[in-house]
Amino acid sequence: MSPDILDEASVIWFGPQHVSAHGWATKLTLVGDYIVECDPNAGYFHRSAEKCLEFRNFRQGSMILERICMMEAFLAEYPYIAAVEKIVDLEIPERAKIMRTIMLEFNRIHSLQFWWGQFAGELGLFAMLLWPWVDREYTLDAFEELTGSRHTVSYATPGGVKYDFTPKFHAKMEIALSRVKERMPVFDDMLAGSPTFRLRTEGVGHYTAKQALKWGLSGPNIKACGIPMDLRKDDPDPNLAYGMIDWEVPTTHNEEHPGECDAFDRLLQRFKEIETSLDIIDKLLPLLPEGPIIDPKARAKVNRLPEGEGYGRVEGTRGVTSVWLKTMEKAQTPWRAKIRGPCFASYYSLKHIVPGARFADFPAIFGSLDPYPGWWDR
Amino acid sequence: MGFVGNLGDIFRILKHVFRQVFRRPFTYFYPFEDRPYPEATRGRHIHIREKCTACAQCVRACPVAAIRIDKEDKKFEKDCALYFDYTRCIFCGDCVSACRFEALFHTPIVDISEGDREDLVYGPDKITTLDRDPLEWRGRRFR
Ligand code: SF4
Ligand code: SF4
Repeated sequence: MSPDILDEASVIWFGPQHVSAHGWATKLTLVGDYIVECDPNAGYFHRSAEKCLEFRNFRQGSMILERICMMEAFLAEYPYIAAVEKIVDLEIPERAKIMRTIMLEFNRIHSLQFWWGQFAGELGLFAMLLWPWVDREYTLDAFEELTGSRHTVSYATPGGVKYDFTPKFHAKMEIALSRVKERMPVFDDMLAGSPTFRLRTEGVGHYTAKQALKWGLSGPNIKACGIPMDLRKDDPDPNLAYGMIDWEVPTTHNEEHPGECDAFDRLLQRFKEIETSLDIIDKLLPLLPEGPIIDPKARAKVNRLPEGEGYGRVEGTRGVTSVWLKTMEKAQTPWRAKIRGPCFASYYSLKHIVPGARFADFPAIFGSLDPYPGWWDR
Repeated sequence: MGFVGNLGDIFRILKHVFRQVFRRPFTYFYPFEDRPYPEATRGRHIHIREKCTACAQCVRACPVAAIRIDKEDKKFEKDCALYFDYTRCIFCGDCVSACRFEALFHTPIVDISEGDREDLVYGPDKITTLDRDPLEWRGRRFR
């Protein structure tokens, strides 16, 4: 970049006040309508979640994780539970394993429903902003019926789950899932079938699979390049039920430029993620056995943990989410906790993806990466 | 395609408009009517002092230290007074699952906003009683 181009450049802050910036701030350098430099700034949401974890015992810690990302609350709290279960020996009942998996997938559907609306809203399709959110209400109703809370479900606990499935919950889940299935073709038509939407997303913000691996992207952002990288398949958690059934990792192959993806491919990928989640839930529901939902000794065992290290991870909606815990002998609280969110990588990859794009394409690029500020400012 | 060609579309739009105008709205007319809450809803608590044994398990379970216990204040044989600070409470449900004597429950009352911060600290009088029936629909349907 020659310096005289930069003489005409104007610097603007996208956020924290901009409506579609979700409260985070990105510094953009513009020449005319083109972005020449993008400087993501983390830190506006920092609330020391890792330090907070050091002052909570092993049953309380997951509440903090939930509040980092409200949209995927259960997917966010699960890695902490998994890390605790790695340190202490607990026997998770079969029923609890399946229930956890169903709720994880249900939570993924909720998060993607929210994302549909948000992404369409960022691109100016305001009818599409509200329609998935109406369906999302049914999903939230089902969560509320089961756990008593709409977003922060606090569902799992070391050793099992807290609340048993009831017939009322099954009925509400049925309504929510059938609603998603019914409306998927409508949304597909409204987004993928809309020429305006395709114009705004196709060929925008593309990167290659090699770059994505280098930047540390995960989840749908890398599967959209055609790489079947999925923790549910690659490293199945023994305390979850993904190994019990047959399912395929969804990937998107772009015919025109294989091994690359643009904003439109990432949209298609997220549609496929919902289909996979629906498929997994449908296959797991008939397998649900009768029996206990929690290890009866869990409460006593989790009070004080032996010395050790635990690393729990799960394939979240936005990518790999993990928590690392280190405990000392007879520990009531972790000595050190480390949270790895999926969005730090996707937010800072904007630095490489955005330059060269037009300013109006910026919401399409960051919206398609689905970043959530809580994950980089934990 | 002139005006006549678009007539069909115009009638379709008008049909939708009239249907929406005379339909009952999807939203609730809030202070007068409310949605039904499931039984499991984690709203404000109720403390049943007859059953309480002052074991303080609820206080220990709370991740945000929202509960204060006063063991001197006794109404029955072994009970205690609990003070719930709803400016801190995150409605996680841990205190209720920690109580083994069935003395602490959530209620489906979730609208507990107050004008003054002090009013959100529920003392032993307020936490042991419900000022209204939570499960009923209050008021009337707007339309
Ligand atoms: S619901 Fe949770 S935050 Fe509220 S008082 Fe009980 S334990 Fe504390
Ligand atoms: S409410 Fe329950 S847990 Fe709390 S002090 Fe009373 S008996 Fe113990």
